[in-house]
Amino acid sequence: MSVPLRDATVATVRRVVLWVPDWPVVAAMAQAGLGVDAPAAVLHGKGMLAVSAAARAAGVRRGMRKRLAQRACPDLAILPHDEGRDAREFEAVAAAAENVVSGVEVSRPGLLMIPSEGAARFHGSEEALAEALVTRVAEEAGYESSVGIADGLLAAVMAARANSLIQRGQSHDFLAPLPVDTLVHATMERTQRAEVEALVSVLVRLGLTRLGDFTALPSADVMARFGQVGAWAQRMARGEDVAPPILRRAEGDIAVEYVFEEPAERVEQLALVAVHVAQQLDAALLAAASRCARVRIGARTVTGDELVRVWRTDVGSRSGAFTKHMADRVRWQLEGWLSGTSTGAGTGTASPQPAPLTALTLTAEDVVPLGAEQSFLWGGTSGADARAHRAMERLQGLLGPEGVLAVSEQGGRTPRDRVHALAWGQEGEPARRVSHPWPGRVPDPAPATVLASPLEIHVLDAGGSPVRVDRRLAVSAPPTWVRLQADPGDRVARAAHRHPSSGHVGGGDGPVWAAPLPVEAWAGPWPIVERWWSSEASRRAFLQVALRDDAGNSGPALLIALHEGRWMLEAVYD
Amino acid sequence: METQGTRLAAARAALRAVETRMGADRKATEGPLLALDDALAPLLPRGLRKGQVIAVEGSTSLVLALVARASLDGAWTAMVGMPNVGVLAAARRGIDLARVALIPYPGVQAPATLGVCIDDVDVVMVGQGLAISDADRRRLAARARESGCVVVATGRWPGAHTQLTVEGARWGGLGAGEGRLRERDMTVAITGRSTGPARRVVVCLDVDTQSVRLGATVRRATLEDRAFGTGAA
Repeated sequence: MSVPLRDATVATVRRVVLWVPDWPVVAAMAQAGLGVDAPAAVLHGKGMLAVSAAARAAGVRRGMRKRLAQRACPDLAILPHDEGRDAREFEAVAAAAENVVSGVEVSRPGLLMIPSEGAARFHGSEEALAEALVTRVAEEAGYESSVGIADGLLAAVMAARANSLIQRGQSHDFLAPLPVDTLVHATMERTQRAEVEALVSVLVRLGLTRLGDFTALPSADVMARFGQVGAWAQRMARGEDVAPPILRRAEGDIAVEYVFEEPAERVEQLALVAVHVAQQLDAALLAAASRCARVRIGARTVTGDELVRVWRTDVGSRSGAFTKHMADRVRWQLEGWLSGTSTGAGTGTASPQPAPLTALTLTAEDVVPLGAEQSFLWGGTSGADARAHRAMERLQGLLGPEGVLAVSEQGGRTPRDRVHALAWGQEGEPARRVSHPWPGRVPDPAPATVLASPLEIHVLDAGGSPVRVDRRLAVSAPPTWVRLQADPGDRVARAAHRHPSSGHVGGGDGPVWAAPLPVEAWAGPWPIVERWWSSEASRRAFLQVALRDDAGNSGPALLIALHEGRWMLEAVYD
Repeated sequence: METQGTRLAAARAALRAVETRMGADRKATEGPLLALDDALAPLLPRGLRKGQVIAVEGSTSLVLALVARASLDGAWTAMVGMPNVGVLAAARRGIDLARVALIPYPGVQAPATLGVCIDDVDVVMVGQGLAISDADRRRLAARARESGCVVVATGRWPGAHTQLTVEGARWGGLGAGEGRLRERDMTVAITGRSTGPARRVVVCLDVDTQSVRLGATVRRATLEDRAFGTGAA
């Protein structure tokens, strides 16, 4: 095993690293509106994740418990940890850096990386580049940062922490005297960090405290003893790279905005606007020589609500078809918002009160260059798929957007809750995940008929009095008879209902009850108590009953539920 | 030695000879087959043919089960006028929901909607209580024959190729307050335009769904001869 690993390396890139110290706490302070000199710390789990300079001066350290930290610095502001916020706030820094150089790699929030060669040549020297970066970031983003330049990843990161510039080829010597736990700074994610920390602890216990001691070991032996992590760490410690920086390209959204001069309240105002914005988006896409798979339609109302819906736009041909297709969808969506009917059937989320619209935006999503559309992994869309899609879009034109629904399964406990329906072509996530456990759901099989809205029924015991289920789920008596509602058009049932013997004397209104059917077998009750914390709280007890019909044969099997003292027919196993 | 098998083979050979002599091949007038669950084969001995209208009375599960295999094999399905269909049951029977369009309330546009669906979708399920006249039904059936769409209608459909009527279903698994619905036997009466009087078949839908997904097996695919000559009872 005399093949040295370095033969397989990628060329070591000389890079500039821009580092904002204590980024999580700096970002949190910026969001919380604290001054830079306030003592603050970000708490994650049991210990402090990051500590501001003022807090550090007061004696607060990383990893300290909350109580200890507060003892060291009583007026310490403790802020919550939020990775999303860290990444979001760092976007401003990255944008400022992009004004100096053309491409940056955001390695992690707080640290970004630039290959130095071309950029340094453009700015005259590496010093000039470093100065330009620090100045721009301070001016535009408002954060103090430090810059280091060196060969290789670890050397550059350490140079940034020391705010220094390491000459070409000096990285190895620069790193050699540093302690081995500096390796942790080259990790960019949590799992990798844990692995490296474990490695460092072993190295320290082996007596290897300096990076120089570690790199002196034969690389084949390190590989044999520590595996991939060891090989990676040794190359880092030598001042080499494992991968070149991955630069991101900033690309603007393709979006169209339309601001109404007066808030739009009526649908008629919107038909022309829909066509107009669709045309504009089409033109913008064409100018960018691209097309998109989805369009996000957003609107702002006078009450300040932001309404957003995503629609698919798989139009096969581009010429002309896109404008028409998109204009329809924009108009439907706006009509839905104005009339307050656009709830995405079955999602259970109530849309805000309809209000006049003040602005409209269309944003292209999943933008791909023209002619480079991604088809499905296993074969393209077949002719039948395209035909069916076109047919459904035609039907939407005929019946309205909510007339054709696409359905999918979602999590839930009752058969009705477990279906997610959306207008055809609309994109949206199911409200509840299927993969969650959903304990206590109604047992299989799934009923083939699920009533869109439950229907009241009577469940009676042998003596003819209603069956009750108490708090401890004890059934007052075995259900013996079930009375379903008769079809109100059924004359015989109506006549029987009017007859005094039915017990509904004078009952001209209310549901018409059919003759009671005997219960053959039943099972339950299964309690479902849901969302007690919200306004849509419900307590129900479900029962499966199999009935016998008039002739004494086996009749239908039903799923019924007791809800607030009334029995409801939920579904039929037909 | 003449067994039932040899008699049947001889009869088929004679029939084939007549067909070739007359130049009227039955195969040529029938559409290609769609996949059908083996367990349901006794219901439609000649298979689920494209361009057919099949009416199912008394069971939504049977409608879904008839369509399930075709949907798994890539057919697009539309459910027109079935606002109460159990979508979850459809998924459990094997219908791919990604290729399902639900048109719950076509209203007065029902004939036009069905026309569009029949032209461009492989399988159309039709609910009850739609505003379509018998003349509409005849026109739609002709369109289905033309486009090779299978129409599975719930309830009655005058002029359907096959009418399946569920005469009784017996559920197993429920007790007096314990158990749950597990499996059911269905007695289905089959009448058709080109078949004789009704024959009855017992199929077992819903084998315990925990173990079998595509649940329909015939427990006793018995052709009950007593129904012969009595019509659809």
